[in-house]
Amino acid sequence: MAYRSHILLCSGTGCVSCGAFTLKETLKTELQKRNLQDEIQVVTTGCQGFCAEGPIMIVQPDGIFYCQVKPSDVPTIVEEHFIKGRPVKKLLYTGAAKATPIPALKDIPFFAKQQLVVLRNRGLVDPDKIEDYIAVDGYSALSKALTEMKPEAIIAEIKRSGLRGRGGGGFPAGIKWETCRKAYLQRNVEPVVICNADEGDPGAYMDRSIIESDPHAVLEGMAIAAYAIGAKEGFIYIRHEYPLARQRLLNAIEQAKEYGLLGENILNTNFSFNIEIVQGAGAFVCGESTALMASLEGEVGEPRAKYIHTVEYGYKNRPSNLNNVETYANVPLIILRGSDWFASMGTGDPRENPWNGSSGTKVFSLVGKVNNTGLIEVPMGISLREIIFDIGGGIPKGKKFKAVQTGGPSGGCLPESKLDMPVDFDSLTEAGSMMGSGGMIVMDEETCMVDVARYFISFLTEESCGKCTPCREGLRTMLDILNRICEGKGKEEDIAFLEEMGEVMQDCCLCALGTSAPNPVLSTIEYFKNEYLEHIKNHKCPGGVCKELITYVIDKNKCDGCHACTKVCSSNAIKGEAKKLHSIDTTKCIKCGACIEVCTKDAIYKE
Amino acid sequence: MADNTIKIKINGFEVEAFDRQPLIEVAEKIGVKIPTLCHNPIIEPYGVCRICTVEVRHRNRVRMVTACNYPVTNGIEVFTDSERVIRNRKLIIEWLLGRCGNVKVLNDLAEQYGITEPRFGRGTDDCILCGLCVRMCQDVVKANVLGFFERGPKRYVSTSFDQTSDLCITCGACASVCPTGCIKIDKLEEGTYKEMPMGPVTPIHIDFMQAVPKKAVIDKESCINFKTGGCKVCVDVCEAEAIDHSMEAKEKEVDVGTIILSTGFKLQNGEELKEYGYGKYPNILSSLDFEVLNNANGPTGGKIFTQDGRVPKSIGIVHCVGSRDKKYHEYCSRVCCMYALKFAHLIKEKIHDCEVYNFYIDMRCFGKGYEEFYNRLLKEGVNFVRGKVAEITDAALDKSEQGKLILRAEDTLIGTVRRIPVDMVVLCLAIEAQEDAKEVSHFFSCSVGRDGFFIEKHPKLAPVSTAADGIFIAGVAQGPKDIPDTVAQAGAAASAVLSLIQQKEVEAEVVTASIDEEICSGCQICVGLCPYTAITYNKDKNISELNEALCKGCGTCVAACPSGAAQQKNFRDNQIFAEIKGILAV
Amino acid sequence: MPKLTVEDLKNLREGLRDKMNIRSGEAKAKVIVHMSTCGIAAGARDILKAFMDEIENRGITDILVTTSSCAGLCSKEPMITVLYQNQPPVKYVELTPQKVKKIFEEHLLNGNIVKEFALASGSETTA
Repeated sequence: MAYRSHILLCSGTGCVSCGAFTLKETLKTELQKRNLQDEIQVVTTGCQGFCAEGPIMIVQPDGIFYCQVKPSDVPTIVEEHFIKGRPVKKLLYTGAAKATPIPALKDIPFFAKQQLVVLRNRGLVDPDKIEDYIAVDGYSALSKALTEMKPEAIIAEIKRSGLRGRGGGGFPAGIKWETCRKAYLQRNVEPVVICNADEGDPGAYMDRSIIESDPHAVLEGMAIAAYAIGAKEGFIYIRHEYPLARQRLLNAIEQAKEYGLLGENILNTNFSFNIEIVQGAGAFVCGESTALMASLEGEVGEPRAKYIHTVEYGYKNRPSNLNNVETYANVPLIILRGSDWFASMGTGDPRENPWNGSSGTKVFSLVGKVNNTGLIEVPMGISLREIIFDIGGGIPKGKKFKAVQTGGPSGGCLPESKLDMPVDFDSLTEAGSMMGSGGMIVMDEETCMVDVARYFISFLTEESCGKCTPCREGLRTMLDILNRICEGKGKEEDIAFLEEMGEVMQDCCLCALGTSAPNPVLSTIEYFKNEYLEHIKNHKCPGGVCKELITYVIDKNKCDGCHACTKVCSSNAIKGEAKKLHSIDTTKCIKCGACIEVCTKDAIYKE
Repeated sequence: MADNTIKIKINGFEVEAFDRQPLIEVAEKIGVKIPTLCHNPIIEPYGVCRICTVEVRHRNRVRMVTACNYPVTNGIEVFTDSERVIRNRKLIIEWLLGRCGNVKVLNDLAEQYGITEPRFGRGTDDCILCGLCVRMCQDVVKANVLGFFERGPKRYVSTSFDQTSDLCITCGACASVCPTGCIKIDKLEEGTYKEMPMGPVTPIHIDFMQAVPKKAVIDKESCINFKTGGCKVCVDVCEAEAIDHSMEAKEKEVDVGTIILSTGFKLQNGEELKEYGYGKYPNILSSLDFEVLNNANGPTGGKIFTQDGRVPKSIGIVHCVGSRDKKYHEYCSRVCCMYALKFAHLIKEKIHDCEVYNFYIDMRCFGKGYEEFYNRLLKEGVNFVRGKVAEITDAALDKSEQGKLILRAEDTLIGTVRRIPVDMVVLCLAIEAQEDAKEVSHFFSCSVGRDGFFIEKHPKLAPVSTAADGIFIAGVAQGPKDIPDTVAQAGAAASAVLSLIQQKEVEAEVVTASIDEEICSGCQICVGLCPYTAITYNKDKNISELNEALCKGCGTCVAACPSGAAQQKNFRDNQIFAEIKGILAV
Repeated sequence: MPKLTVEDLKNLREGLRDKMNIRSGEAKAKVIVHMSTCGIAAGARDILKAFMDEIENRGITDILVTTSSCAGLCSKEPMITVLYQNQPPVKYVELTPQKVKKIFEEHLLNGNIVKEFALASGSETTA
């Protein structure tokens, strides 16, 4: 049925921080009360540009512009404007709308296609001031949970929202909380809530950003989880390499305690919850849940056999709920805005079955060969193409896209043919990669996929705990083979051998790190086999990266003998007279690339 | 009991198990062998070698799991030798060979699975990082000496800071569980040699197969539980639940009427005779050492080896070590010649071409068939050198002596000093009385001779009795003798005891001393003097009291007593004076 | 600081809301310097110092300078957001202390956006 009016509510961060969503709820309720819900539609929009006057409300097709609207104004607006047809004068915008001479943020693709949930407060609140967080509805969710909801209801709500683990596992958080609480009630052993802020994937910094932007969101999420599960103790395991994030968390905890929002008898209720920050010590493997808990206990951070679930027997054999930073950061909003709202974003409908689809948004660190590198938050289901080309602004210097690596060292590389794939948990896993914690590395034609596989395997070899045979020996031997291939000494049977090793590792490794370790190799073999064959059969590196297989050549048509390259060549490999064609002595060239960087004529290339 | 019983299938066979029982236990029950490397039933499963990975199907889900620690649940189907499982196993073996190419247990597995050309070559390490030693040391023994260091391919097992650990109690548990044999137990000090264990190898042991009673005992000093509170593996495996570490020695008081002292002997400590190098050079054994070595229940199963594992080509047996010697014991130990001949015979039997040399002073073959046995040996080609060995040295004078022990003795029959190089020496050390023989004898109111052995009442007519009535002696405690003689003495002592017990009345010694309570001042001079410990001091009354049953009427106390309180019956002063008068009257 | 009850929290929130958008009349402009690890690595501390210096040197009392976190577009840091009276927030990117001086004079003192340094105006969309 056609609506006779649309109310456009601005949901820019400025307006939201002034209560735009509370306003929305109040509007909807009032419209329902007056039986106008079928005639007047409430729509949220991006930033209208009048952030100083928010919350902004535009009524179309009347073209009426209300500003600084409060929930207490709503009955008046509905009564006067929608029922009696008389716009409310005192709320109308009176100042002259200054046309801003620069583009609007909502028109810039990098920002336009993002939808902030977890990062809603970024750039807006001072993370070191709890007052800023409180001003933007901070701790209201905790307040609501403690006073209006029972633990079982909270768990049901989280389940219904379909929130799946944002650390890479994609396990429905609600089910995890439910199992943890059940174990607690059955065994009468106090559970513990743990936040995994180890973030070891190279190139990934989503969790760091979330903590540095909005540490209280994480704390509030943990507190709600603790209340739902029955825990009184919480840990944040943060990697040693994040000193600023750790400091902001420490400040946040202290300030929250001062206000009685953490600690004993929170908000004057019976609920007490204390959080301790524990630092990692430079081990990627401590991001794995059993290794993390071992490290928390003071043992060596090594994983253990997986046939006992940590959610039942975890930290010190207590029921332990381990979730990622981003997962917890989603929780306050789900409690405030409801599971229907969260489920409405993303793919699938999780309300009956939390495994169904991927709801909500995901934070990605978009890095690599892309114009707009940065931290983005997008609704699940958005395509890779939109992320890389719209938000990311495409490949710099006009180079061609080759692959995108998702999920860190446990993930895989996806080629051009997969660009229109929706980004969600199940699609990525099906394609041979995985969501992981949200690292997204874009690669162009000058990337060698074999070298990429080698890079990840060498990282994993260093970080492997070495406990189980297939990971320890498998990674080492895979690295040997990949090194050989990159040096031009590859053999025909190497590809099949790598695949065999990968399959055995997937079957036999002790922890998820090991079983997912072959992914970079297996996915590059699947989608970029020709690159491997080029290296092995023709001793060539199509990406121009593997030093043994490339030579630097000066294009005789472009070189004008300006000597720029000879000056930077550290191995004296370039010879040539002034203003005459220069040449490179390939026996001396160490392929450092310095000459290519300084050549203004683009005359040096790799072949 | 039937509450948590479930049914699973292994390779198509249905088998009963307990809910969450480790899969490998269930498989073992029906004889399905799954290879393991890092598994040991007394240690918590670690699940790191991954070679026991098998396929488990449940409903539609297939999982690859490690059998050593996977808890079975109802209705699962396990496949231990499917194509996928075998492929995985083979690659894991190849990977391990790539690290440790020459380890026997890996090569055995390689042979079993048909791996002839491991694709990663053969590495030269010998530790497969199974962690058995570490877990044994940390979780079972609880000495916490061994650990893993570094991570990834650089991982290795060591002690803290790679230095010799003060915490190590040298229990050897790590070496005993190591599947590759790469852990060795070494002695630390310079100048000592690697010893082949001659005695019991474990703190809990049965002394020897012929022990009576044949029960295990725990040596408190070497038992790990008494050092760290850990281990107690013996308790876990004892089906009869007979082991109790908290047992204490109990003292029992038994009232008896007669006592037989047969406390045996000790073999002289060979280290006393510095010229023979016992304990300094390797391969010098005492006679008891050799008995243990030679015994079929001994450390080598009866084979004769030198301490570094070679078969000796020549052995020297030295008689009269410490016996018939003014410096040590003048007496002859009686049994050595015969057992030395026995050794010579056994050696020749076990190692046909071994040159055996017996160095003797006199050959004492006094018993039935003994001399005949000696003659037999002469025919077996045993070399007899009549001369006491002066010195055993390892200082070689020429090539033929290098690496050997040289016995220097005067061969009195041919009148020259000989140097005879041998691979092994057996010393017939003297039989000595027990260390505490003197104290024991005092306690039981008898005495020991100069040689330390108990003194019999009469050397010819009462060899098993002592001066104290009711106390008898038997066996080597009375003097060196061999088994037939000991048995004879034991029988004599037993029958003497029996005849005593049979009598309803015993004739007591009449001429005992007596102590007059009124006169005794409690000076206690007599207490220490009495050779039969018949006098004790009564603190409350402040007098010395005489036990007439023990008193033999020797009169020592009477002579010593300053106050005249001790008097001998029938030998009182007035009685003696009366006798003198009587004689003089004739 | 007294511990909050549920009522206290609600009231506190209402009171602080206006301060977020400088509507309470204390300041005529607010500069938010984006400082997370990425921003700091790119030089945000110098930018912050430059603004603080300008305020001190000129003796200004009605312009607020605060810090916040990374705004997302890491490749263009150091970044700031300027809130001026009734105007939508403006994001300036790839800043240097020299650019700071110009922005301060033209935008913060006189209300004119410096087009050449600006990226865009407005706020991000919250879901």
